Amino acid sequence: MNMEFSFIIIDDSELDCYVTQKFLERSAKDLAIQTFQNAQNALEIIRESTAGNNLVPTIILLDLQMPFMNGVDFIEEFEKFPAEVQKNYRITILTVLTPANNPADIYRIRTYKTVNNIIEKPLTKEKLIPLLIQA
Amino acid sequence: MSINQIKVAEKVEVLYVDDEPDHLFGFKASFRLGYQIFTAENIPQALVCLDDHPNIRVVFCDQRMPGKTGIDFFEEIRVSYPLPIRIMLTAYTDVESIIDAINKGNIFRFVQKPWIEADIIGAIEEANKFYLANSMLFIKIIELQKAYDELNKFAYSVSHDIKGPLSGILGAINLANEIDDIAEMKEMLSLMKKSVIKLDAYVLSMHDYYSLQRGELKITEIDFKKLIDELKSIYSILSKVNGVTFDISISQDGIFRSDYAILSLIFNNLLSNAFKYQDRNSKNKSVEMIIEVAKTVVTIYVKDTGIGILGSHIGEIFNLFYRSNSLEVGSGFGLYNVKSALIKLNGQIAVHSILHQGTTFKVTIPSI
Repeated sequence: MNMEFSFIIIDDSELDCYVTQKFLERSAKDLAIQTFQNAQNALEIIRESTAGNNLVPTIILLDLQMPFMNGVDFIEEFEKFPAEVQKNYRITILTVLTPANNPADIYRIRTYKTVNNIIEKPLTKEKLIPLLIQA
Repeated sequence: MSINQIKVAEKVEVLYVDDEPDHLFGFKASFRLGYQIFTAENIPQALVCLDDHPNIRVVFCDQRMPGKTGIDFFEEIRVSYPLPIRIMLTAYTDVESIIDAINKGNIFRFVQKPWIEADIIGAIEEANKFYLANSMLFIKIIELQKAYDELNKFAYSVSHDIKGPLSGILGAINLANEIDDIAEMKEMLSLMKKSVIKLDAYVLSMHDYYSLQRGELKITEIDFKKLIDELKSIYSILSKVNGVTFDISISQDGIFRSDYAILSLIFNNLLSNAFKYQDRNSKNKSVEMIIEVAKTVVTIYVKDTGIGILGSHIGEIFNLFYRSNSLEVGSGFGLYNVKSALIKLNGQIAVHSILHQGTTFKVTIPSI
């Protein structure tokens, strides 16, 4: 497994951030992990990171239902970034799927080119494995 | 065609359409004491009258008139003015036109000329009852539509705000199987506890929401001292734990009557918000509540030195499930419940907020 990559967790729930982070830490050693409870802040950090040259490929674990800026808003904004910024990131949706989620919404999420995975909460060790292999 | 203005005490408005002025005159003379009578000599006049007087509840029309017949007229207004109840008043009683009046004109009654006063009065009274029943039904339909819309929002929110924390807790339990370190475990338990408390608060405010929508008012004389003592006992703990200074002042001049439980709900929501949305990094955190009862109105100020509300969000903060802030503490119920409570008590609320400096809510409620 190539360990030259990092993670960004975006989830408005403090508990969910914590759980995701701990699961990741347990799956692989020495991962760089940043957590954000506010998608806007994450967006700022990613925008600023463009200044740096040696960027590590980063997987963004993104919750969908968040107040203020939700997951879809985040993706829309992220896809406005220059291509050389975008190519360093892959988005994985990590969310609760409920009967209220319209299947069409889920389908629509998949159509964003920067989104390449959807994981349903609650998180388990097994659910993270494909993510780590892919990375 | 607004039917919000159903005023039972006022005279019922009746329109009579007939091409014979004598009949119009006689009709008006006979019934003007009990009813507000409008008359029209032809159909164009009648349409203008219906347009000018949206509260007309009963329309009488003669069958035989120059130009259009009474049936044609009824057939037309059945679509354009569906609310007034249609009654045919005619000397012309062949079976054909009676059938048409019923099938095409959808009439409520058929009264024969020359009329007997009791028949006309009876017809108006029955028609009025029918009109009221229809209008009430219309209002109920609007209310139902609103209830359905809220139910939809509810289903969405419940699935997120209940399933969200639950799946977080479940994830944490899954993780717990991997953890051996006690300190780490305790850290996670305290986060889990926060999620459980949030769920609990959500269920409580859902109950508030429901009782506000369906409950009756229980009016008593309000003892603000008692209310304040209750609030102090709850919030002085929060004040100590979070390092927020908390002051309540009151001046009462006169007796104030209202619903204690609903007042308490308003005060609790505003206060808990004031504590909740403090700026964690600020040195001087304070919450101040001022209650002024002057004659028959109470004015309440709740001031905090919190994070404030973005100007563009102010218009939306009273909406159900709206959350202005990304702090995860909000359920989206609180201010909506405050607004519903104030509507019940005929109260008003105003908000003034400066981002990063604080928010002041001003509530005024009349005594009932």
